[in-house]
Amino acid sequence: MLRVENVTQSFGGIVANKDISFQIVENSIVGLIGPNGAGKSTLFNVISAIYKPTKGKIMFNGKRIDGLPPYRIATLGISRTFQNLQVFRNMSVIENVMVGYHTNSKTGMIQSALRLPRVLKEEEDVYTKCLQFVKFVGLENDIEILAGNLPLGKLRLLELARALAVKPKLLLLDEIAAGLNHNETKKMSGLIKSIKDKGITVLVVEHDMDLVMGICDSIIVLNQGEKIAEGTPYEIQQDEAVIKAYLGEEVKESVAN
Amino acid sequence: MAVQRKGVKKLNWIGFIIFLLIVLILPWLGLNSFLMTQATFAGIYAIIAVGLGMLMGYAGQISLGQAAFYGVGAYTTAVVSKTFGLSPWIGLIFAILLPALVAFIVGHTMARLSGYYLAMATLAFGIIVSVLIVEWRSVTSGASGFYGIPTIQLFGTMIKQGLPYYYFVWFFTVITVLISLNIVHSRIGRALRSIHDSEIAANSMGVNTGKYKMQIFIFSAMLAGLAGWLFAHMSYSISPGSFGLDASILFLTMVVLGGATSVWGALIGTILITAINIFVHFLGNNVSFITSDFEHVMNGLILVLVIMFMPKGLFPSLVNVFRKKTPHLVKESTT
Repeated sequence: MLRVENVTQSFGGIVANKDISFQIVENSIVGLIGPNGAGKSTLFNVISAIYKPTKGKIMFNGKRIDGLPPYRIATLGISRTFQNLQVFRNMSVIENVMVGYHTNSKTGMIQSALRLPRVLKEEEDVYTKCLQFVKFVGLENDIEILAGNLPLGKLRLLELARALAVKPKLLLLDEIAAGLNHNETKKMSGLIKSIKDKGITVLVVEHDMDLVMGICDSIIVLNQGEKIAEGTPYEIQQDEAVIKAYLGEEVKESVAN
Repeated sequence: MAVQRKGVKKLNWIGFIIFLLIVLILPWLGLNSFLMTQATFAGIYAIIAVGLGMLMGYAGQISLGQAAFYGVGAYTTAVVSKTFGLSPWIGLIFAILLPALVAFIVGHTMARLSGYYLAMATLAFGIIVSVLIVEWRSVTSGASGFYGIPTIQLFGTMIKQGLPYYYFVWFFTVITVLISLNIVHSRIGRALRSIHDSEIAANSMGVNTGKYKMQIFIFSAMLAGLAGWLFAHMSYSISPGSFGLDASILFLTMVVLGGATSVWGALIGTILITAINIFVHFLGNNVSFITSDFEHVMNGLILVLVIMFMPKGLFPSLVNVFRKKTPHLVKESTT
């Protein structure tokens, strides 16, 4: 479904991603891990078209997507969340999710200016559909609250609901569990699994090893901008290069357990 | 069954009806002809301010050259109705379309700019148009002004300055407010508000931010053109002085004072600035050292004070004060 081919991304003299290639197959959860500065976030931003790769190409369902403007990526069926939380702070929870539904609705400027009857009909339709996404992540009691007033855990859920409202085929989750407590992380793992069950492919960048090892079908490991390993969670835990580069004692322990 | 749409911003019909009543009743409160003219001007300026407010508050763009579109609208209809002798109603079409076209071209060249650079570019654009109006004498009659702009006829009657023109102008103002509120409370309005909060996220949700910024820029230019049309046919004569940097800053002050993140804010800002200018005028009649230039001093002072103490503007600040005094109306998340 997604094919990253020989992607290199450099900023001036600094090479953040070096000749990275991998594939994501449909209906799987893929983890992207690596120590700080490994180039995970950069790669993520390249896939979601925020950066244009210096070299290489990215194919999505047979269509080349690198170099497209970011809003086109969403139209093609890729949506994402943000590690540093890019919610619309001055909008309510439901309004945030309704922005996510933008590409699935079509009222234009002139229609809305004249308040044609079908504008209201679409509004009601969009509202009802978006309520489903809000309920899915469990924020149905907070629909009227301004996003800026939500605590971190709920902001992560809101970002997830908003990204789902795009109705993506591929969902990119950028450290969705960062800052969450144990229970919240567990809940998030459950949500990601049920997103996969809906037929959506998921790519997660994550620091939380329990989450990654628990839910991913396969894992890609980056270190210093290069891909050093790829495989199932079990294979990754056994991989000498990975252990050396990054996981260290933690994995040995969890394997021992 | 109608869906309630809880949590979605909707048009406040009560507020709108109150606004309508004030507009209807105001002329009957014993206004003399000077105040009547000022009230009419307030309507014209409000149309520009609402458009500029949408541009600043919703599209997050700034324009220090909005008076240029106002001028293009006014001179376009002057040329159409006087030079070519066509109906002012045909002038209206051109007075709206030409600024839209200019905004489309200018918008494309400025599409990559933001912040200070955009402010400088729009400032320069305003100055260029202002100079063009002065120098293109064969069309605009230059600095001495364009005379003989005909009065608008509606159903065979002339709409003369005073009460008829007041209602005529405010009819357009009310329509402008309604259309703007409709846009704000729609899918497009949400997309615009999302750009304001996080452009990068809006983009990733499939919002074509460039397109909407452009559309709002064109919309604001069309409104300024409409205002120019109303002004030209009210005045019989127009001169370049009405469309210079002073005017652009006046409109900016109105929006900043009222608050750019709301259509009502722009409207309230316009009314307050008009009220202050009327006050300065009365002072000028009684105090010898206060001249009409004093308006600029006041406007500059207001601009500085508002930006320092109420960066969101008067209307949102008042709404916040109201919310703080009535905490039970404020919804906070549990946890």
